[in-house]
Amino acid sequence: MAHQAHAYHMVDPSPWPLTGAVAALLMTSGLAIWMHFHNTTLMTLGLILLLLTMYQWWRDIIREGTFQGHHTPPVQKGLRYGMILFITSEVFFFLGFFWAFYHSSLVPTPELGGCWPPTGITPLDPFEVPLLNTAVLLASGVTVTWAHHSIMEGHRKEAIQSLALTILLGFYFTFLQAMEYYEAPFTIADGVYGSTFFVATGFHGLHVIIGSTFLAVCLLRQVQYHFTSEHHFGFEAAAWYWHFVDVVWLFLYISIYWWGS
Amino acid sequence: MYYKFSGFTQKLTGSAPATAYNPQGLRSGLPAESPTMIFATPTKVVSEAGATAEYMGANKVPDLQKVFQTSDGIPVHLKRGYPDRLLYRTTMALTIGGVAYCLVALYIAAQPNRK
Repeated sequence: MAHQAHAYHMVDPSPWPLTGAVAALLMTSGLAIWMHFHNTTLMTLGLILLLLTMYQWWRDIIREGTFQGHHTPPVQKGLRYGMILFITSEVFFFLGFFWAFYHSSLVPTPELGGCWPPTGITPLDPFEVPLLNTAVLLASGVTVTWAHHSIMEGHRKEAIQSLALTILLGFYFTFLQAMEYYEAPFTIADGVYGSTFFVATGFHGLHVIIGSTFLAVCLLRQVQYHFTSEHHFGFEAAAWYWHFVDVVWLFLYISIYWWGS
Repeated sequence: MYYKFSGFTQKLTGSAPATAYNPQGLRSGLPAESPTMIFATPTKVVSEAGATAEYMGANKVPDLQKVFQTSDGIPVHLKRGYPDRLLYRTTMALTIGGVAYCLVALYIAAQPNRK
């Protein structure tokens, strides 16, 4: 680092892209083996390898940035672009499922009874638990913004408390949604209504879990003094992702829970 | 034309006059420029540190910075020594073993159904 004449980051040779690629191979082939031979060993191996890869790759990024000082302003700019592009790709991912929902619900076929919700489906009341879930996620958006300002102003204790509160709200949402899934009067197998409902809300729930995990890592890092008032991009990336998750929920709530009921 | 520094794109962008004259980050007591880039922080002895109360543990970042900035040519994923090597070797063993297992499983799966 002290010997380079530029501000960019020439990364040390790393084995994690290879192990990550192999993890993808094992998970996909493992999925096929599971479907045909009822054996989950290969897929489980792939999952373990994926977790090991993620842990070590991101651990190394923290080492390179926080401990070795490689995340200069131009490097950080690249990381910002990267995170924005990734979130944009996720937006398109969800766009597909919203397309599927609107395709089926705007012109309901005769097989469904020509109406939406289809005949025989009792949708969830949008003004019960789903409304509470909306409030929970909106509140978590407030607390994560509070955490950001606390970090920027150097208030360590407040930052830790507001970040912890954000994560707790995230867990509360997941818990409530799990209860809803258990109690729902319809399943994923109940025609196109069930499919669109559970695939869209299911992938959203997965993203809530991913976002909560990202924030939890940020909490650990904040406790360990990794973030400074000027430089805390890991936290900002987590906050962006969390706001994205919140916005997707709002669209889900308006489209599927409210309009679709 | 008035300008502001966009924290999002890290460039100057157009803005209203009011925003140009009241930059968001400008606060009394806070320096207007960002601090100089530090590639290697000198470690601080505890007696030199200010009399601030600890909240949830002491700051170990300067010590870790010293560990990770030693010029020994070791790549960052092995820099901590034994625990890194152990985890790396386990991961690599699973990788190579996994590829072999995968190829065998796919070979068997590709055999025609013998009934």
